Amino acid sequence: MIEALAIDPTPLQLLPEALDQSFKAIPAITTIGMLVLFLVIGYVFAVADTDDMWVAGRSIGNVENGMAIGANWMSAASYLGMAALIALSGFYGLAFVVGWTAGYFILLIFMAAQMRRFGKYTAPDFVGDRFNSDGARAIAAITTILIGFVYAVGQAVGMGLVGMYIFGADYTVLVVLMMAITVGYLALSGMLGATKNMAVQYVILIVAFLAGLWAVGLTQGYATVLPQIEYGALASDLGAEFTEPFRGDTSYYLWVATAFSLIVGTAGLPHVLVRFYTVENETIARWSCVWGLFFICVLYLSAPAFAAFGTDLYLSEFGTMWGDGGMSAAEGDVIVVLASQLAGLPTWLVGLVAAGGIAAAIATTAGLFIAASSAMSHDIYTSIINPEATQRQQVLVGRLTIVALGVVTTLTALDPPALIGELVALAFALAGSVLFPMFFLGLWWENTNRQGALAGMTTGLVIWTVATFNSIVPETVGFLGDLAGENNVFFPTLETWVPAIGSALVAVPIVFAVTIVVSYLTEEPPEETKLMVRQCHSPEPMGKDMTAEDVVQSTDAVTDGGEDAATDGGEDVVTDGGGDTVVDTEQPETETDDNQSGG
Amino acid sequence: MNILRPSTQFMRDHLRLIWIGFFAWVLVIFGPVTATYFAQDFMTSVTFLGFPLHYFLVAVGGPGGALVLSVIYSWRRDKLDQKYGIDHSSTTGVETSSVDTDQPAATDGGVDDTAGKNDTGDAVEVTDDGEGIEEVTD
Repeated sequence: MIEALAIDPTPLQLLPEALDQSFKAIPAITTIGMLVLFLVIGYVFAVADTDDMWVAGRSIGNVENGMAIGANWMSAASYLGMAALIALSGFYGLAFVVGWTAGYFILLIFMAAQMRRFGKYTAPDFVGDRFNSDGARAIAAITTILIGFVYAVGQAVGMGLVGMYIFGADYTVLVVLMMAITVGYLALSGMLGATKNMAVQYVILIVAFLAGLWAVGLTQGYATVLPQIEYGALASDLGAEFTEPFRGDTSYYLWVATAFSLIVGTAGLPHVLVRFYTVENETIARWSCVWGLFFICVLYLSAPAFAAFGTDLYLSEFGTMWGDGGMSAAEGDVIVVLASQLAGLPTWLVGLVAAGGIAAAIATTAGLFIAASSAMSHDIYTSIINPEATQRQQVLVGRLTIVALGVVTTLTALDPPALIGELVALAFALAGSVLFPMFFLGLWWENTNRQGALAGMTTGLVIWTVATFNSIVPETVGFLGDLAGENNVFFPTLETWVPAIGSALVAVPIVFAVTIVVSYLTEEPPEETKLMVRQCHSPEPMGKDMTAEDVVQSTDAVTDGGEDAATDGGEDVVTDGGGDTVVDTEQPETETDDNQSGG
Repeated sequence: MNILRPSTQFMRDHLRLIWIGFFAWVLVIFGPVTATYFAQDFMTSVTFLGFPLHYFLVAVGGPGGALVLSVIYSWRRDKLDQKYGIDHSSTTGVETSSVDTDQPAATDGGVDDTAGKNDTGDAVEVTDDGEGIEEVTD
């Protein structure tokens, strides 16, 4: 894995030696202050909204919703990991910059407004209702939980590494401590009923990031007003490795596979889609997607500049950057903080940058855990295992899920198999392989049916799992690593063509084909489902709280009456029964789901 | 609904916009890296604002290009709405007050009036041209 990226094969356990590790009071206070601020603002907004949270929640405008989309993106992967990938992997790192921005265009043209019209805003809900299947709902829920886990491992690594700068303790201690803080933060926000105010969160984090970038640029004479462009002048001085395309094992194929995976992952990530349901109409859904991309671009045009500055500072301090004796993976993952420190910025300012990284990681992890716990308690436990579950049982299952996830995430993060950005990219490959094809076909081809969806999702899960077990898991799990032998890869050829990070390039076409073929070979979906899909594309405006389902149900009697009797009278009786039960059980969801807006 | 066989004029116009946007996006996103693969010497030796050309086109051109295309798409789509007399904002003002309380009434009321699904006067106007029913079911 790491070898595949042509990164110095130093084990990741090697700690960020160049980082100044000692307890620093002001940065510690800044970190805690940020988290408290998130909670307080969330609490204030929650109180203000209690009257009519849904309606208030949905009248979010373009810009504010765009910022919320940006905040979703402000995880440790973007804040810390992006600059690390660019600094260590050079041109290959740009596949991440492109992948994590370009996906929004696909989301915009194919899905944002249509999702808003469909009106189901978690992946299990959409899949379950579109394909009339609790089985599909469960697979989507399992995928959501897996995504949350892989994503969170990246966050935990980020917290631990940056924590070393602020608290100066051992990496292991810090990962455990930070994860404990995360669960505490989660519990507190739950108790306060705080709906995260994502827009405010975006502003705080981007200010911390840009303040560091500008300060480094100005004090070191790299840049003046626009470091995002001015680092170009530096690019040629940094050594060929910084810009050289396809160096080492980072082939053209790997570049395209990675970018493709991240693009479809963006369009398939559950916590991104939520943001399109919280707006009042589809025009706003579209424009908030545009604004979201703008706010993400602010970060993603800045990260390469930070990487370039960090590389130059590291080179002048230590002489070598790439290869033996160069920057370690752990140092790379904190390059944003390291650059600020090497530039000699005052401790409070370096601390601000570091605090931003930790706060981003904690807030993201909290959001992921909430989504995972809801998927477990609602979509798996209540929908399938115990339909008569009481409220208390559901809450218990949800809490147990969070604790279990916290433990597993912590353990995995102690010996991380890859860079932060790569870990998070794995979650994207999963979302892209399993959920994106379901969203796309579900919205754009009305004949996609239950059997097709089940077959397609299973195929996607299998491909992702095989690719991950082939090259990522042996890095962490000792005996598998021994079994796999050299480079910790079982089948190098498979790794070349289906790299874990870029597995969606192979998986997506296969999943599409499987879903389409199986859908053709089996019975067509019920008429009501088809009407729902048509409603997603109708030019006619829909009311603020309407979903495609509401519209179809209200018009059923009129438009369908005729058509149905004519076309599928017989079939309908059969399929309707199944469809209806799904519709029925789905009403109470509304209460739990607004928690999931995190990411 | 089949993405390859749109059945109303609106869908045909919309999909035309979508596909043009999509192909432009493929060029902007995967064009530079592919060009770098085939013409590495040229792409890496030419510089722009200090950057080697390939680096600039990917690092700045990729995200920036996606953003510009998004703006163009959304703007053109708004134009399309205008052409078909669609006004999404019209539903919001009326609906805000009636959403919660009137939900059941709205769904029931829909029975005697196809276009009444939004229970606003504007919705009826949209479908006045007689194509309404066709478009709804598509």
